[in-house]
Amino acid sequence: MFFRMIRGAFTRQRGKMLMIALTIALGASLATAMLNVMFDVGDKVAQELKTYGANITVVPKAASVLDNLYEVEGGDAAEGAYLREDELGKIKTIFWAFNIVDYAPFIDTDASLADGREVNVVGTWFNHYMALPTGETLNTGVQNLRTWWDITEGRWLDESQPDDANACMVGASVAAAAGIRAGDSIRLQGPRAGTTLTVVGVYDSGDSADDQIYAPLAQVQKLSNTAGCVSSIEVSALTTPDNELALRAAKDPKSLSASQYETWYCTAYVSSICFQIQEVITDAVASPVRQVADSEGAIMEKTQLLMILITILALVGSGLGISNLVTASVMERSNEIGLMKAIGANDRAITGLVLTEIVIVGIVGAVIGYFAGFGFAQIIGHSVFGSAIEMKAMVIPIVAVLVVVVTLVGSIPAVRTLLRLDPTVVLHGR
Amino acid sequence: MTKRKMFFRMITASLVRRRSRMLVALLAIAVGATILSGLVTIYYDVPRQMGAEFRNYGANMILLPEGSGAFDNAEVDAALSKIPAASVVGVAPYRYESVTINEQPIVAAGTHMDGARAASPYWYIDGEWPAASGELLLGKEIAEKLSTKLGAELNVRYALTEEDEDHSDLFVKENSRKMIVAGILETGGSEEEYIYMAMEDLEALTESAGELDVAELSVSGSQAELQGYADSINASLDGVTARLVKRVTQSESTVLTKLQALVLLVTVIVLALTMICVATTMTAVVTERRREIGLRKALGASDASIIWEFMGEGLLLGLVGGLLGACLGFAFAQAVSVNVFSNSIAFRPLLLPITIIVSILVTGLACILPVRSATDIDPALVLKGE
Repeated sequence: MFFRMIRGAFTRQRGKMLMIALTIALGASLATAMLNVMFDVGDKVAQELKTYGANITVVPKAASVLDNLYEVEGGDAAEGAYLREDELGKIKTIFWAFNIVDYAPFIDTDASLADGREVNVVGTWFNHYMALPTGETLNTGVQNLRTWWDITEGRWLDESQPDDANACMVGASVAAAAGIRAGDSIRLQGPRAGTTLTVVGVYDSGDSADDQIYAPLAQVQKLSNTAGCVSSIEVSALTTPDNELALRAAKDPKSLSASQYETWYCTAYVSSICFQIQEVITDAVASPVRQVADSEGAIMEKTQLLMILITILALVGSGLGISNLVTASVMERSNEIGLMKAIGANDRAITGLVLTEIVIVGIVGAVIGYFAGFGFAQIIGHSVFGSAIEMKAMVIPIVAVLVVVVTLVGSIPAVRTLLRLDPTVVLHGR
Repeated sequence: MTKRKMFFRMITASLVRRRSRMLVALLAIAVGATILSGLVTIYYDVPRQMGAEFRNYGANMILLPEGSGAFDNAEVDAALSKIPAASVVGVAPYRYESVTINEQPIVAAGTHMDGARAASPYWYIDGEWPAASGELLLGKEIAEKLSTKLGAELNVRYALTEEDEDHSDLFVKENSRKMIVAGILETGGSEEEYIYMAMEDLEALTESAGELDVAELSVSGSQAELQGYADSINASLDGVTARLVKRVTQSESTVLTKLQALVLLVTVIVLALTMICVATTMTAVVTERRREIGLRKALGASDASIIWEFMGEGLLLGLVGGLLGACLGFAFAQAVSVNVFSNSIAFRPLLLPITIIVSILVTGLACILPVRSATDIDPALVLKGE
């Protein structure tokens, strides 16, 4: 009889049940979409903030005295203090290798152009292809680390083309002063050797790089006779905003207890990533670029907090919406409940009947809503960040609990109020 | 009793007597209106607030002397007059001179510490910012090179030279000054290779005042606005050129556009879903009254008068719910702003009528569909309950 009544309710009151299911589905989809976006927004914003460039620099230990202070003494001041080029691949083998988005080595030397003009030549990777020991491949270099460069003439140097091994890119100020255009061949005379390079592009960087020439690593190593050496590495890594533990560890990792050390080492703090880079690169000092690392943390935190608060608003809104409608739909059945009481149904039977109906509708609505909401999250992910929002398993129980709680909260008080009424009064229609 | 009086009496009576249902409807509308006004306020305020957060990246405009040479404070002030005072977050003038400490050549920068602090919030200081005259801020590299600790006293020497006729430097005399290390600066960048002192101290040491090599400006605004300020400075002032720090401005506009798009899309989706939710609740509340509509029709009421009465109710509910929601929404936006950005939010008067109008429209639309379907049916069928 119970099941027959339930089935009857669904077939005969199809319109009404559909409406309740629709509202629950809407609420659930809202909750799903917002929760999914909220859990993923930190990673997505961190990716976007990579446009500011590297947040870690690695220099040789002895070169802590940087050469631009001593450029008067000539380019050889820091001789002997170099990092090893053959160790670069190791950066992608550290514990947080997955968080290393991009990196590029740098070496620079002063060279003179054909007209005698002195210019700083920087050797680096542009879009270096690497096959990692893990079997992955990676394309990394300044093309990703200097997103703010405007190529005013020509194109980016492309390392995958054999011709570009003898090419270079020229800063806007140098190009203007020396009258260099894309397509020209320039002769560079370095301290140890000379070379002729083809200019493939002119860039406008808006900073001191405008006064430099960027060339492939091997070319600059040839100019200064420093084969296999790099003078610094810029690393762009996804990091977790620093907390008190990270600050303490950054000062001295040895001051931590064993368990704290483990927590720190296994969290993607900028300081632990620096520490791990120092472990794999011989005689290196890795330090966070505060301008990028600190600001990144602050902005990520703010965005996450903002999304959490909007999510709470959406959850409260959808919760109220669902429980509201459930209340309305139960209240409307006063006649039916009065009649059932009048013909002798006990309170428990009536409550059971009403709740079962609501819960079935709720489950149907929640399942539909979950998938719809996941779709909404993907719309947001693709149109804002151009990538999918990761499906977080944690969202399913949260949405399920939310739907069950709000439907029960919406229906139980209403049912109780109706049960308290005298059937005669209800049936009389007052 | 006039017709109008009767109309109002019916509306108010239905609201008062059916208190619980009307409360349900009102709550639904108020929740919708709260989300509407709250999210729209946040949407409009996020770029401004987030823009302020992005100033953490430091200076986004620098002033350089035109050609070679130096410029002075008056020119910085003239340049600043081209930028609205409210958008200027920090101004830090710098002057660089070579000094020697323990016979080591070191570049010393003179600046206004408060300005440097505002323009470069990411500077991490071990110790204190120099507050009094005679205090030094040491770059980390320099501190390591000199193996100096906080609180140490250093003798800063500056060789005063003069150019003679054949442009070779002529040594005149050496000034020296004992200074205390107040803090050690860590940035991970080239700032670590300098020492910083108050402008007055450097001027006393070099016996020349007013000269600046560069001024760093941290200005809040979009890339286009900043370019506008820079252009007007370059056009009207001869002594200085303003340049944007492209790395900061370009990246900021990329990220900020994305964030704004995120909030916009979230707002649109949340609003659309909430409004449908409000509409279904209203529809449920109205559908319940089919019997009443049938009875009224049987008694001879015209369709138009029934629709008008329901619309009147919807209007009243929309008005009250919208008003309630607009206030609650502002309170929510304010709470968000205070919690996330520790900053208060401006009330947008225009949002009040918009919220109310949207609530009225949504409730009206949600009412009219079930009422119409009820009035279309033969009253006998409705009353019979089929």
